[in-house]
Amino acid sequence: MYLPDGYTTLDKLREAGEMAEYDLFFGPNHPGMHGNFGYVLTMIGTEIVRVRPNAGLLHRGFEKAMEGKAWAANVSLIPRVCVPDPDPNEVAYCQAVEKLLGCEVPIRGRFMRSITLELSRLGSLYMGMGGLAGALGHYSTMYLMMIERDMILDRFEALTGARIYHIYNVPGGVRNDTPVGWLDSVSGLLDHIEAQMPEYDRLLYENHVVWDRLSGMGPITAEEAMASGITGPALRATGVKADIRVDAPYAAYPEVEVNIPTSGGGDALARAVQVRLDFAESVRILRQLIARIPAGPVHADLGNLAKLKVPAGDAYSKVESSKGEFGYYVISDGGEKPYRVSVRGPSLPAGLYLCHQHLPGMKIDDVAAWMASFAICPPDIDR
Amino acid sequence: MTPERFSRQLEQFFGADARFADKGGAQWEVRIPRDRCLPLLSFCRDHSFVHLAFVSAIDWIAEDEIELVYHLWSYEHRVHVLVKTRLEREKPWMFTAFRLWGHAQAYEQEIHEMMGVYFLGNPDLSSLFLHNWKDRPPLRKDFDSRAYSLKAYTLSGLGLAPEDEEDANVPS
Repeated sequence: MYLPDGYTTLDKLREAGEMAEYDLFFGPNHPGMHGNFGYVLTMIGTEIVRVRPNAGLLHRGFEKAMEGKAWAANVSLIPRVCVPDPDPNEVAYCQAVEKLLGCEVPIRGRFMRSITLELSRLGSLYMGMGGLAGALGHYSTMYLMMIERDMILDRFEALTGARIYHIYNVPGGVRNDTPVGWLDSVSGLLDHIEAQMPEYDRLLYENHVVWDRLSGMGPITAEEAMASGITGPALRATGVKADIRVDAPYAAYPEVEVNIPTSGGGDALARAVQVRLDFAESVRILRQLIARIPAGPVHADLGNLAKLKVPAGDAYSKVESSKGEFGYYVISDGGEKPYRVSVRGPSLPAGLYLCHQHLPGMKIDDVAAWMASFAICPPDIDR
Repeated sequence: MTPERFSRQLEQFFGADARFADKGGAQWEVRIPRDRCLPLLSFCRDHSFVHLAFVSAIDWIAEDEIELVYHLWSYEHRVHVLVKTRLEREKPWMFTAFRLWGHAQAYEQEIHEMMGVYFLGNPDLSSLFLHNWKDRPPLRKDFDSRAYSLKAYTLSGLGLAPEDEEDANVPS
């Protein structure tokens, strides 16, 4: 087993035989656990001494399954890699395939991708903030935020026919144009969201229980974050101005103004605040996208997608999801199916590696909040 | 940093061992033999490629090789570099990158489990996902997941099938 470098007072107590260790399975049976994942915690009293990630409860072999499906059919499998924020997966995969095909997505298609990505981000951030509130015992905030998320899912249902797994992107663009009045309904939703946000700020961010519990939890410096593969809000919460939407622009982000917000501190509180800043920026980007979306086709003509053949080669494409970098490394041997698809999820560095540094010495009550602060979403570890 | 400058520096340090290619779209590729892969990764990290996004492994069964691809990103230059190295398919092994990036440990652990590559110096290569696994590594191309499912999860595969053939796959 991999042991952290730190040596705590608990280790001393254990060696002196003054306290007994026991193993606690913090798994899917715990309401604070995010998804079907688990940590086996070695405890003394209520404090954690060691941790062993217990992954694999949800492993569905996506990477293997993708090798056996046609290029376009894989889009139906891919959103399942991240349940709360599925669209970044679809877009990253389709962009990698388009790179290999050398195909250009029409401008309206790129705008629709950005709009769905941002809506998906808002839905996921609601779930993230609600999950954090729930982990700290504020269940009403969590339920209220889930109502808001459901309103976003209503818009997705009207656009794609599906609430969770939208399967909206295809290689070459997006499946269909918007229904009549859909963009107006999204604008109306944004008005509602902005009107509601001060209420949630009062419930979550102006709550001293939240501040007291989160300050100082799971601290990480900018250098540590960059050296351990942390991306997205958790990286920006250490003060690093990094966002794939600006650093390696894709979809319609070059057409709008994106101001990356950053915060400092690097603890769980900074990460929670960062998520709130990201949320506000996302609403601002959505308004620009809706105002500037041009008319035109939404997908390029690639012939019969079921028989799509992709030239041999490899390509990596990445997307800024609500949790960080989602990347797809796609390899083709020129056939009708991918030779290999390798997925980079944002949760693995914190979920499988930083847990060894952060959890020992922490109280059992803080594990769920720590996980929520890093937005650890186990489906992308178990892929 | 321009691709020309980076490839010149690579040539100074690694000579003909490192084969550089500009893939376009701010993606570069460096192919390197296993023995010099770790020094190359260290070189990249010192030249602003501080973010190891992930490590992927590909089974090139026709060429009898396993390929490891390290995905690096420079926040400073906004360039993605793919460092590729090839290993023999029979008993593949590689040096660990754990001392360069801590989280490489988890990626290597996963590759060891799914692709059967042994990482020399990795502190923990225990199974993360598979329980009591005795078959070949599941992401290898010659692992047939359908045949495995029929063997492991059906009554007939487990030798528990009832006499009546039609009910063979229905749990009683």
